[in-house]
Amino acid sequence: MRAAPTPDPSIDVAGLVIDEPHRFRVDGRVHTDAHLFSLEMQRIWERSWLYVGHESEIRQPGDYRTTVLGRQPIILSRGEDGSIRAMFNRCMHRGAVVCRAERGHANHFRCPYHNWVYRNDGTLVGMAQKSGYGDSFDTSEMNLVAVPRLEVYRGLIFACLDPEVIPLRDRLGPTAWYIDQWADRSPVGRIAVTEGVHRYQYPGNWKFQLENGVDGYHGNYVHESFVKILNRSGDRKQQEVVRTRNRVGSNNCAKGLPHGDGLLEREDGMLGTFDYASLDDYRQALVETHGQDRLADILTQRNILIFPNVYLFESHIRVMRPISPTSTLVDTIPTWIEGIDDALNTRRLREHERFFGPSSFGATDDIEIFVLNQTGVQAEAARWLDFSRGLARERVGKHGERIGHSTDETPQRAMYREWQRRMLVGEEMAS
Amino acid sequence: MTAGAAASGPLSREQAEALLFEEAARLDDRDLHGWLELFTDDAIYWLPMGIEDPDREPSLILDDRSRMEERVFRLLDTAAHAQTPPSRTQHDITNVRVVNVELDRAQVTCHLVVHEVRIGDPSQVGMAQARSLPGRCEYELRRGGDGRWRIARKVVRLLTRELPQYNLTFIV
Repeated sequence: MRAAPTPDPSIDVAGLVIDEPHRFRVDGRVHTDAHLFSLEMQRIWERSWLYVGHESEIRQPGDYRTTVLGRQPIILSRGEDGSIRAMFNRCMHRGAVVCRAERGHANHFRCPYHNWVYRNDGTLVGMAQKSGYGDSFDTSEMNLVAVPRLEVYRGLIFACLDPEVIPLRDRLGPTAWYIDQWADRSPVGRIAVTEGVHRYQYPGNWKFQLENGVDGYHGNYVHESFVKILNRSGDRKQQEVVRTRNRVGSNNCAKGLPHGDGLLEREDGMLGTFDYASLDDYRQALVETHGQDRLADILTQRNILIFPNVYLFESHIRVMRPISPTSTLVDTIPTWIEGIDDALNTRRLREHERFFGPSSFGATDDIEIFVLNQTGVQAEAARWLDFSRGLARERVGKHGERIGHSTDETPQRAMYREWQRRMLVGEEMAS
Repeated sequence: MTAGAAASGPLSREQAEALLFEEAARLDDRDLHGWLELFTDDAIYWLPMGIEDPDREPSLILDDRSRMEERVFRLLDTAAHAQTPPSRTQHDITNVRVVNVELDRAQVTCHLVVHEVRIGDPSQVGMAQARSLPGRCEYELRRGGDGRWRIARKVVRLLTRELPQYNLTFIV
């Protein structure tokens, strides 16, 4: 067991989340304080399973892409043996990155500084003017350092800096079932991602994006503009959207899962302007592979938060990268459902651009709200953020998950309970 | 010369410039219905990213005429938070070239810099910060039955097209 990082004695971490029977509050400094941010990086980001990429991005042996694990540069690569590896993008000699291109295909990575050459599995295979090192210099210790843990679930590649972390499947727990429904929207059970990424950077804290993606309370207000667009285009009537969002029903709920994961589930999605359930060929293909009894579960619209860095949406995978307490990079990576008509995927892409793109009519308004949040929480004297909505009516499901109405702040509470636990303890807990 | 005015003969650079400058003026004056009038009924307004395969890869914007109209409706007739307050813009157009010209069609390229700012309390995050977005444009112009040149296709390749974007909710 490693030593826990030393907390700043001036901040009482235990007092930042106040979880009472009828009231749930979070201290606004969680979005502004630089010390809390570095504690988050150490205790949450450096010890959590983090989403780092998708199998379809490195389909062929030799394919690679660079990314970050928390804030540390890594290379994801598929070796000649077909297996996926993750290694730090850092020459073992003097520390330069050995791979400059974000994506590509290579058998070797060559450090431009002194021409050290590594195979795409990280093995050092060449050094310039090697004789200068003498016979006793052990090159077998100079391979690129492997990321301590890497596991894949349904095409989603997760990695972790903590070698002692619990297995990914244990970490996912009941969330895995929801990932299965998401992936099985493909009749062949495979979702791919596009190479292009819609990338945002906003001047606000990363947790505003986490809070928002499972927030079913804001839609009628933040997205009034989009609802009017749907109404104008005839895609959906405004009254119908408002009524559906407010309806109380078993498939219209927000859930808080273990490990800070969360869900927003709706029987009738507002984002898509086409209803998958009405596409007969698509329904039939799903029934043939997955069975009639799974159809309703698969077609339920869900936003799935896997704490702390990834969301699965119907149209895309969304990855959060904290840059500083007040700056966040968000990648929204459109998905491609394998086993269906290309034309339907292209329509999905156009609708994705309509609501989620950087010039869209939806997500851009959410980001404006994060910026209002970031400005507002500078009023530290006002201190508390309130997440009490639905405390009095949520219930506990069979996996210990809490289930509220879709407009309740049930998932945000689960997220902040886990946030606080991790900030105090550090470790992922076993299921 | 009036922009898009009926004239016979192939498109001259002066006519092309007049049309592009008129478009810039209508955008900067927030005359967005007037902006739409400069386009054909089957127009495309496209901001690609790195991979230009719009059927398989995402674009920043890929608007057909009806989505262009949605965009204008959103900006003028809805409470779009990302445009409250709205952006003040200035579209600077240079390096205009007529690269291909037929009797009733022409391709025109130019450089564009959109300067943008939202006016408000400078102590608020995201307000009162001027930005400049450079890009290269390709226009396909068509002359209609009324003799007027209109924009059938506007492609803007932003210099920063693969980079993280922030509040790209005004029209470039």
